[in-house]
Amino acid sequence: MGSLAAVATGCSSSCGSTRLAGNSASGTPASAIAPNGPAQPSKPRVVVVRAKQALTHGYDADRGALRAMLGAGLAALAGTGDGVAGLRRYFRSGQTVGLKVNGLAGRNAATHVELVDELSALLRQMDIGGHQQVVFDRFASDLTASGFALNERGDAYRCTGNDALGYEEEPTVMPSTASRLARVLTERADAVLNLPVLKQHMLSGMSGALKNQFGCIHNPNKMHLDKCDPYIAEVNALPAIRQKQRLIVMDALRPVVDNGPSYQPNMAEVANALLFAVDPVAVDVVGLELLEELRRKHSLPSLAKVDLTPTHIQTSARMGLGVGDRGAIDVISIEV
Amino acid sequence: MRGFTRRDFFGGCAGAGCAFAIGGSLGGLALFPSRLARAGETPRPHPARFWKKLPNKRVQCQLCPKQCLVEDRERGFCGVRENRGGEYFTLVWGQPCAVHVDPIEKKPLFHFLPGSRAYSLATAGCNLECKCCQNWDISQSRPEEVDWQWMPPEEVARRARAEGACVTFTYSEPIVFLEYCIDTAVAAHKLGVRTTMVTGGSGEAEPMKEACKVLDAVKIDLKGFTEDYYRKLCKGKLAPVLKTIETVHESGVWLELVHLCIPGANDSEPEVRDMCRWVKSHLGAEVPLHFTRFSPQYQMKNVPPTPFETLIRCREIALGEGLHYVYTGNVPGIEGEHTYCPRCHKVVVARHGFHVESVDLKNGHCAFCGQSIPGIWS
Repeated sequence: MGSLAAVATGCSSSCGSTRLAGNSASGTPASAIAPNGPAQPSKPRVVVVRAKQALTHGYDADRGALRAMLGAGLAALAGTGDGVAGLRRYFRSGQTVGLKVNGLAGRNAATHVELVDELSALLRQMDIGGHQQVVFDRFASDLTASGFALNERGDAYRCTGNDALGYEEEPTVMPSTASRLARVLTERADAVLNLPVLKQHMLSGMSGALKNQFGCIHNPNKMHLDKCDPYIAEVNALPAIRQKQRLIVMDALRPVVDNGPSYQPNMAEVANALLFAVDPVAVDVVGLELLEELRRKHSLPSLAKVDLTPTHIQTSARMGLGVGDRGAIDVISIEV
Repeated sequence: MRGFTRRDFFGGCAGAGCAFAIGGSLGGLALFPSRLARAGETPRPHPARFWKKLPNKRVQCQLCPKQCLVEDRERGFCGVRENRGGEYFTLVWGQPCAVHVDPIEKKPLFHFLPGSRAYSLATAGCNLECKCCQNWDISQSRPEEVDWQWMPPEEVARRARAEGACVTFTYSEPIVFLEYCIDTAVAAHKLGVRTTMVTGGSGEAEPMKEACKVLDAVKIDLKGFTEDYYRKLCKGKLAPVLKTIETVHESGVWLELVHLCIPGANDSEPEVRDMCRWVKSHLGAEVPLHFTRFSPQYQMKNVPPTPFETLIRCREIALGEGLHYVYTGNVPGIEGEHTYCPRCHKVVVARHGFHVESVDLKNGHCAFCGQSIPGIWS
């Protein structure tokens, strides 16, 4: 199994990329089917883009660096010439796109506002207007605490908490539990762009693309038992989530490496990275690798050693939600 | 503005005793229909009890066996207790989302003031997630997601006294609003109003002992008698429930048990027999045991209602194991809803559904043979 560090070693040139192909593909998530272009390769692709100056003052992100990262990442993921063309592979003009951010832990450990702003600008360039973009998470208060401005006008994008629009009346029953789904997801969004933050999580081991979907249900507190497993997988298997999720851009600019998901000042490690994928399992596999790498830098034990292996990732793979075999994931690493 | 929904329609009368299926339905009057309530209003935090501080602004809840480790800005499994900067708060104190006046038989409490009324209230939240829950829309919701009304303990006590009723904490799970229960029970007692609780029993011993100091009667759901049942169907554990049952019994508070019989899930003869033997050996023959009929709900709409024969068979097993007061519930009109004198076998309390037809007791004794009948009768 190749480590992320090894992959990145050969990528020193500006926008240069190195591909580490896996051995075999073991499945393609439904979300990998592009609405406006060819399907993803059979091997799920995860693009890791780094920029040394992505963060300016600890937390704040440099917009220029982010634009470059988004352009390079989206183009590499979709195999297109630029970021907007890349986005067209996953979204259509006229669609309403839900941007599912993670605002749980406040501005210091949330999806960067600057990242959302830049992505939103790219979406507008492909004729998805601000009123057709809905940035959402569970609570309006979390969003404002994370630096987002609530609004329904949608000059740049709309921004709303699930608590404003509410949840479906009836629960959706899963094998192990049941939840009411956020109306933003079921009634407003035609497609979802998942924007998780890479974090260690004291209950599930890791918070990434899969865990971020807990923000689409009314009762994640009921799913924290047994390392959130199999609940995370079951939530991601719900058609409303699985079929609408088109793209994942994981914010790993400054992951929380321990004692997460809350912000821990001494445990937020600058990584200056964004991860791009359509396969939520594959991107979490690669994200986990990065998280473990950062934990080693902090002289922290592996998650397995502290009994916090994020088992939900492989459970999700077994449920066919994506590829959990690191060797079967096509990882492209880019430095901008 | 959102449209008129099923939730709006049921509004404040949502809920219905997760404890049991039909009998727990909120058929009574909603005292504050949702239109008048505060839908979606931010709940008011009230300092929680039964928790401890941990490093990094974490807390550990010690109210129930889940022992949730709760991060700053997060809530525990119940969804109604929140960590705010390393301090723990309940978000449902004084904020009931369902208030009704029910017959006490609906709880069911059959040996507690028969024919009396119960000023029944619930808040959002539960520390279990039973797949058969009849009140899932309040028990599995957060305080912000239900209609609630500000009703501090003294107000509950005043209203209950005005109704000539006892106060009953019920419908969802009173353990998750235990601070409110305790404070309300204290206020009620000051006005001479008695208090009862209907609970799943999944609580820690110390909080339950605190509650028992101010309660007059408790009905506990013994939902199954295997750990497997509690784990798979309730996201809970059996052992703490048994411990709670013993704690309540030892406290001297009047106790009755309910077993909701779900076809194929917890109604096998060995399981029911084991449960009855445990009740007899740990609590004695005189603790009433109710076998109630399941109706398809929530995540178990694919399971048929309990056949009458199953309830009758369960009752026969319990009587055969030597329990004196065994009832069948949610099936009006059959012999299992009456109280029989264990000595002369005559009916001492005759019921039809929630209606008490006659009481033949004199100072807690059988009017026919003088046998003492346990309970709170006056």
